[in-house]
Amino acid sequence: MTTTSIESRMTMRLGPQPGEVIDRGAPLTFTWNGAEYPAYRGDTIISALAACGERVFSRSFKYHRPRGLLTASFIDPGCLVQVGDEPNVRGAHRRLEPGMVVRAQNVWPSLRFDLKSVNQAAGRFLPPGFYYKTFMAPQAFWPLYQKVLRRFTPGGTAPSRRPEALFDARYAHPDVLIAGGGPAGMGAAIAAAESGAKVLLVDEEHELGGHLRWGGEAELAILQALRDAVAASANIEVMSNSVVTGRYDDNWVAVAQRHVANVEERLIKARAKVLIVAPGLIERPYVFDGNDKPGVMLASAARRLINLYAVKPGDRAVVLTANEEGDAAAADLQRAGVEIARVVDARSGGDVVRARGRGRVREVEIAGGETVEADLLVTSVGWTAPTALLNMAGDRPLYNRRAARFFPAEPPHNVLATGRIVGDGTLDQLLAHARAVGAEAAHRASTQRASTGRAATRQRTLTADDPGVSAVPDRTADRSPVPIPDLPIQDHPALFRGASHGIVDFSEDVSSKDIVTAVHEGYDSLELTKRYTTVGMGAAQGKLELVNAIAVHAEATGRTMEETGATTWRPPYAPISLGALAGRSFEPLSLSPLQPWHEAHGARPLVAGHWIRPDHYGDPEAEVRNVRQTVGMIDVTPLGKFDLRGPDVPQLLNLLYVNRWSRLAVGSVRYGVLCGEDGVVIDDGVTGRLGENRYLMTTTSAGPEAVWQWMEEWLQTVHPEWRVHVTPMTAAYASMNVAGPKSRELMRRVVDGIDLDPQAFPYMRVRTGRIAGIQDCFMWRIGFTGELSYEIHAPASYGLHLWETLLEVGADLGIRPFGVEAQRIMRLEKGHLIVGQDTDALTQAFGAGLDGLVKLDKEDFVGKPELLWQKERADYPRLVGLQPVDGTVVPPEGAQIVGRRDEIVGRITSSRMSPTLSRSICLGFVAPDLAAAGTIVRVRLPDGEEIPVTVMAQHAHFDPEGARLRA
Amino acid sequence: MPDSVPLARSPIACIAPGVVVDGWEVTAQRSTAAQRITDCTPLAKVLVHAPANGPVAKALGVPFGRLRRDESSGVIIGSGPGEWLLLGPPSTAPALAAKVQELGHSDDVSAVDVTHARAMIRLVGDRAAPVLSKVCAIDFDDSVTPNGAALRSSVAGVVTDIVRHDLGGDRSYLLHSERSFGQYLFDALVDAGREYGFEIDGFRSPGI
Amino acid sequence: MLRIPCIHCGPRNAAEFTYLGEERSRPDPNATRPQEWRRYLYMQSNPAGWTTERWFHRDGCRRFFVMERHTVSDEIRAVRRPSAQLRLDPDGAAGAGETDPEGRP
Repeated sequence: MTTTSIESRMTMRLGPQPGEVIDRGAPLTFTWNGAEYPAYRGDTIISALAACGERVFSRSFKYHRPRGLLTASFIDPGCLVQVGDEPNVRGAHRRLEPGMVVRAQNVWPSLRFDLKSVNQAAGRFLPPGFYYKTFMAPQAFWPLYQKVLRRFTPGGTAPSRRPEALFDARYAHPDVLIAGGGPAGMGAAIAAAESGAKVLLVDEEHELGGHLRWGGEAELAILQALRDAVAASANIEVMSNSVVTGRYDDNWVAVAQRHVANVEERLIKARAKVLIVAPGLIERPYVFDGNDKPGVMLASAARRLINLYAVKPGDRAVVLTANEEGDAAAADLQRAGVEIARVVDARSGGDVVRARGRGRVREVEIAGGETVEADLLVTSVGWTAPTALLNMAGDRPLYNRRAARFFPAEPPHNVLATGRIVGDGTLDQLLAHARAVGAEAAHRASTQRASTGRAATRQRTLTADDPGVSAVPDRTADRSPVPIPDLPIQDHPALFRGASHGIVDFSEDVSSKDIVTAVHEGYDSLELTKRYTTVGMGAAQGKLELVNAIAVHAEATGRTMEETGATTWRPPYAPISLGALAGRSFEPLSLSPLQPWHEAHGARPLVAGHWIRPDHYGDPEAEVRNVRQTVGMIDVTPLGKFDLRGPDVPQLLNLLYVNRWSRLAVGSVRYGVLCGEDGVVIDDGVTGRLGENRYLMTTTSAGPEAVWQWMEEWLQTVHPEWRVHVTPMTAAYASMNVAGPKSRELMRRVVDGIDLDPQAFPYMRVRTGRIAGIQDCFMWRIGFTGELSYEIHAPASYGLHLWETLLEVGADLGIRPFGVEAQRIMRLEKGHLIVGQDTDALTQAFGAGLDGLVKLDKEDFVGKPELLWQKERADYPRLVGLQPVDGTVVPPEGAQIVGRRDEIVGRITSSRMSPTLSRSICLGFVAPDLAAAGTIVRVRLPDGEEIPVTVMAQHAHFDPEGARLRA
Repeated sequence: MPDSVPLARSPIACIAPGVVVDGWEVTAQRSTAAQRITDCTPLAKVLVHAPANGPVAKALGVPFGRLRRDESSGVIIGSGPGEWLLLGPPSTAPALAAKVQELGHSDDVSAVDVTHARAMIRLVGDRAAPVLSKVCAIDFDDSVTPNGAALRSSVAGVVTDIVRHDLGGDRSYLLHSERSFGQYLFDALVDAGREYGFEIDGFRSPGI
Repeated sequence: MLRIPCIHCGPRNAAEFTYLGEERSRPDPNATRPQEWRRYLYMQSNPAGWTTERWFHRDGCRRFFVMERHTVSDEIRAVRRPSAQLRLDPDGAAGAGETDPEGRP
């Protein structure tokens, strides 16, 4: 497009305005519903369309009525559009980029001719609760209802693939966080920064300045001075096009920062010492018949269009004004060349009854019956105080009848408010208030800094002044060293609904009539009416409609505004993308030093907690056979390991384990079971005594964090006098279990100075020394697999060297690695239980068959009373070995064992096909009367079939005497 | 059985080509960028437990939350109440541990060589604080965590000792975590640092 | 998110801590009866008001401590070691001069 053709297309574009944000030197084009449109850099999607004379930007939610521009800001409910594959873009806020592809949403087949607008004619059939009332019954029709309703789902089209955009998150620690970058927010920021505070100034718009931006020359001059001061301060970090979405406990504040370099949206989690709420006021629409027709807009919208974007809002206007903003809009319109058909002054009793016109405003009916031709109706009837952040801080804002709006009541000490949300007055008065609030915020932050920042990170003395530890209401206002002046409160006529019914919630298409109907149907509480009619539940989230809804509700119930109260503002205050919430999510991952080898050798990964482990290397059953016949090796690095030192370690072990530990000799290891105080098994493992005062404790792979906390809890809170030092060493060692009849022969080839003779190094002993050239290794003879085996623990940095050496020197013996699955099969063959699989949150030690381990004659140990009582009761389910009579059937884990009357009498906890025995084997729980060896129980399979299963004499299905592992 | 001393490997994969420094395989990659990240796992690391008011505490001379540079033994960090972390050049851990063990009665003091139990990462550069602020909720402002501060918190979801240890006037942090999380933590930091131009710099002896 | 004032590390995000329920004392395991023992295991008074509870700084110093918190306002008025009493005080006066068992100033 040439410059002339651009200008000729922008039929509503005005000449240069002093505060305009468009760059006339940078024209661009974009498409709207497939057609090309011109714009200037700085234009929003909607301002550019309006400059070209477009008036309709969407169809409404329920009735598909044409909607135009209402607020010309982020919340404008009629301006949600689809940009590329991004739905629900706030078109009156989003700035245009060259080539942007923009489409209208919620229209079918087109914006101009929308078939679904038949809903409009059927409006009387879509009363509040329509969906509840109509689609309730019969239940069998739901799938059909769903299909129909989905066609009417509003909103844009979600992208089908993952967006390319980057989303991010970070933490921040401002002394003072200011929500709102208008004159009050800027004034507060400058004063706080001058007082030495680190300030984060957040504003939803693209530039700081609030309403000063669309003011006259005086306002623009003040704006420039404020902007210069903000820019000159090194203590102020400005985030524009960003919004504070929530305030949580102890001033934990969420900020959504939009469209920063390379980042679509970034979530900032800020811990603010003081939060200043300075959002200004939101202009409130007026409720009357036709108030949602394109051409009806707020005074602030008309002023934004003219002054920021140099767009003429219409040709002939009626202005309904109840305040200075309306007066200023009338002046702006006149200056912009709009013919002012009538100014209706509500302060002297004037009113607008309805707007008429097909598709847009064509005439306006004024109180008294007169009708005025106009294509533009500008209203300015009052304000909504966006108290959301104050509500989230626990404040309950109060309605002021004289000013016809809500005001903050008593925010907590670490939250302050300034600007029009607090009161009225001249710009000078508001700025003086803001500066005082900023200085006071800096002061309050510094008193916190003094206590929390002391000694770098530590703090011993907390004071009641510290909001971090106190959320008490502000009792200290009189202690403020910076006096905060009062702001005057101006009278304002209470204008909510006029002489006719109209739209209250533009996002959800809820009319004042719907609210009245709801009240008549018995929904006399505002909170219930909200949920029944969905008023306030749409995209604007109460910012435009809440106060009008309260007023209409109050009118219908005959109550006052105060009695009606407000619904609760909850986070998020503004929409935040799922991308930003997912942002930088942390899923820590633990890797064994042998992981590179596993990956290179085809290991199938198994996710076990935060570890990745080899499940198998292709054929777990072959891995089992190899261990039983020659020798195999498994990476068991995730086994929890703790270095325990000190003279009182035996006392600790005696207390935590159910068995006895006082006489464990140096060089010996023992299996132990940990129970909770409720007698429930929580972990197990082997612990060895490596030296006089040095022990190495192992836990299950899932258990180290819990067991560490468990040890520390007993040491710190019950026995602080015990001298025991616990050092977590799980990752310190590469741990590998070398198992199989040829394992001794293999170890002989790599150990240095350790006598492997079974007499010198028998079962359940530990030896330390050099293995494969690696110093400080230790190994013990234990046998989870049931075979002769050595569990080697080598300093992790040399783990890969050891693993590769063993494979190399054991090649002729037939060594092969095996994975977790083969280990699980072998331990089941051997009848070794797995805590958490063969026990559950109710399994006390005797139920797990640990009778031989529990030493009830010990003076004390954790869980002792419960285990004593369990033994006396003898009524608990028993863990037993089980074998299906038909050895080819493997009942799934979790299959239930049923009794004569079909009652559940037990369940299978582990089951596998044993490659060694060539039959299925299980562990499971059975009721005590079924636990005797030889009992046949019935196991019900998922398909309903039942199979007979034999209770075995012991857990072990293979080598119950343990001849192999003791070899 | 080959008698040669085996090569030590960090949990953080060595970017090829590798070189051997003090018995450790480290990347030969060198960076002179203003913002750098280095795998310092080869450093000797000794964890000391002792009563916070005993002779060992006095001899170590640094309380919880602070760091002290000691000419003979490297860096001493007050890493917890009654807990210290000693850092030294590679392969000095046994000597460090033995020295500390002698400071007090053996029933009261324990010095455990955790060289192979932990991963150690160093961030250098004035953007190190913003990088950490993407993965850790601690305030890295000088007023809260000045040079010499030590603390433990969650970094990218991993419990990590964070030590502010500036190098010749350049802001720098040492991060010390369980070894098995090393690669994950390193990757998380490299990702967070990308926007600030962090480059990987290989370990150089003595490294502390 | 609440900030919890750890006795060793200062205020930290609550996400760094593990909450362990109300403070309780362990009955003599050799003299206790089921009712008493299970009160120790399971029963919490759960007041709407001041409560004394146990916390563990899992991601920090790994120390257990006891904290007095108001369950309605979330005000925290004192933290102390499990055994030794260490008061918090608006003026920071009580606690001063007391010897820290771990020897820090």
